[in-house]
Amino acid sequence: MAAHPPQAPRKLFREPAQTESVQCPACGAPITLRGFGAIEQVSCSHCGSELSPADSGALQILQQHQRQRQQSVLPLYARGTLDGIESEIIGIVWRQCEVDGVVYPWQEFLLFNPYKGYRWLVYQMTDGQWSLGGALAGAPKAQASGHKAVVFKKERFKHFQTSVAHVSYVEGEFPWQVRHGDHAIAHDYVAPPVGISIEEQTTEEGGADVNFTQMQYISAADVWKAFGAPGSPPRTSGVGNLQPNPWKKGAALLWATFAIMIVVWIGACWMYLQARDNQVVFEKNDLGLQPFSQEIEVGEKGETTTLELKFTARPLSNQWAYVDVMLVSQVSEEAIGFGATAEEWHGVSGGESWREGSNTETVTVGGVEGGKYLLQITPQAGAAAGKPAPTDLKLAVRIRRDVVLLRYMVLPLLFIIAFPIIGFMAGRVFEGRRWANSDYAPSS
Amino acid sequence: MDPYAQPQIQCPQCGAPAPFRGAAVSLVCEFCDSTVVRTGVDIKLVGKVSALVDNGSPIILGSRGRHHGTPFEVMGRLQVSYSRGNWNEWYVEFADGTVGWLADAQGQYSIVRVKDQSVVAGRVPTYPELDVNMVLTIDGIEAVVVDRRGGAYKGAEGQLPFEAEPGMIFHGVDLRGWNGEFISLDYGTNPNHASPVPYMGEAIDLAEVGLHPLRQFEGWRFTGWQGQPGPT
Repeated sequence: MAAHPPQAPRKLFREPAQTESVQCPACGAPITLRGFGAIEQVSCSHCGSELSPADSGALQILQQHQRQRQQSVLPLYARGTLDGIESEIIGIVWRQCEVDGVVYPWQEFLLFNPYKGYRWLVYQMTDGQWSLGGALAGAPKAQASGHKAVVFKKERFKHFQTSVAHVSYVEGEFPWQVRHGDHAIAHDYVAPPVGISIEEQTTEEGGADVNFTQMQYISAADVWKAFGAPGSPPRTSGVGNLQPNPWKKGAALLWATFAIMIVVWIGACWMYLQARDNQVVFEKNDLGLQPFSQEIEVGEKGETTTLELKFTARPLSNQWAYVDVMLVSQVSEEAIGFGATAEEWHGVSGGESWREGSNTETVTVGGVEGGKYLLQITPQAGAAAGKPAPTDLKLAVRIRRDVVLLRYMVLPLLFIIAFPIIGFMAGRVFEGRRWANSDYAPSS
Repeated sequence: MDPYAQPQIQCPQCGAPAPFRGAAVSLVCEFCDSTVVRTGVDIKLVGKVSALVDNGSPIILGSRGRHHGTPFEVMGRLQVSYSRGNWNEWYVEFADGTVGWLADAQGQYSIVRVKDQSVVAGRVPTYPELDVNMVLTIDGIEAVVVDRRGGAYKGAEGQLPFEAEPGMIFHGVDLRGWNGEFISLDYGTNPNHASPVPYMGEAIDLAEVGLHPLRQFEGWRFTGWQGQPGPT
């Protein structure tokens, strides 16, 4: 240092910056200044007059108001730690936009940390949803094609809404001037849980600026916790424009589970197919139309099995044949009944010849107790109206035990596939609720 | 005394040391607010700058940081005001002898360096033709105009690389690039030409350049940037 300075340096900004208490020049109410000279405007909490500090430090009136103080959802000068950064609410702005004649108001809390700058905490008054904004370190690039969108650092943000935001209430301090009635065009782009807000504003002397704000979703509960606010936050409704889609968030887990379940299913099917013996317990290819009975053995005692009846009748020509099959248990005398039909129809109608029906039918019946049974086969046959019933049909009946039941494999598969489908649908429903508040809502 | 100081220069107004360093052309005497201008070996007194407004910046003269590995020191400040606020342009000198500006506007920071006017001369619109949201390509970088306004030099402290006349209104345009680039086009006092002085660089935050020491604020504690040395 110089040996004899003429006087001590006066303002090197080396001393700690102080908060200040002043009086509102309009109404005399006390005003605390907590923005350390960074402020360009302070709005008196009491009368709402918008004041600007002159270079001398004295407050001058920008716009005088006589308005009621509004209770915002968080108070001025509350401090909270959001995203690891402690901040103080030094300013509150209420803004609103009008869409299709409906006014949507919201509250913006200017968060200040002298070392980390400014952030915004935004509270939507209509649905209680919150978001946190900060300066975007760069510019998003507008995309030429597809849904209107911007890209920033390889992330694509879809256009959500464009509206004109009007300032309806101001309280506290701001590093720029914010006046009642100011308006800005706000474009919101989303890639939940983050978004980009682009605001264009012109100033009265012909200047213009555009601000890029990086937004992120924050839950009401996290805001309440950060500020240690009493009670619980106002209830939220609907889906916030940046609210993460829980179904998308869980999609990876859902698909991984799906893949594992498919592998398990394939293994189980293979084992199931391997374990079936498909043994023929009865087969007769030359049955006539007379009833027939025979004692047969089906599977092991004490086990149940699945039986498959295959019935074939030929030759059929505009005729049908039916077998009624009864299995009467030798032990319990209980009967299991099932039947199968073979039929063949043909003709010509409208110049087109047609043919339908099949001379073979296969039916399965599950849960049959193993053991000895008396098999009773009762055939019937008939023909189209006015035609004689067939008399010399050759019927073939084959019964196999322990056959593959397709439904044992298909039902679990449907169940497994249902999970990702339900997840996908639920995700779509969630997105539908999100976009219902956008410029792209189907109804508006 | 600072070992890098050149032969002792004194403020012609009050006789206090005027420690010119590096490329500085103008210096605001920290004792009497006089602006002292150095041209070659001549020292000239320009007059007093209007009082600097305390706009709450955490940066102080002598703050040091590191940008892309090169240490720098904050040498001076130019304060600029426009109709609805003001901002700071901090003059910084890098350890490799180059100089730049650390812009400080409402908590948003950027570091830029001057580029040759030939990069933009005749290839950008004049100031009145420019508007926000216009996309320009400057020196191969695509950037969008985010700010267009006239600003007035309001005050200064420390050393500056040119003679700043308080009250002079200049026209400036700020642009931001898709990858965080920050560009200022300085059209000077007469905006009707297409040869602004380009300043190019990038948006930064103070933590990323590890700036310290910083100013203290009542009710706030600065405990150092995470992973960076704290203030001493």
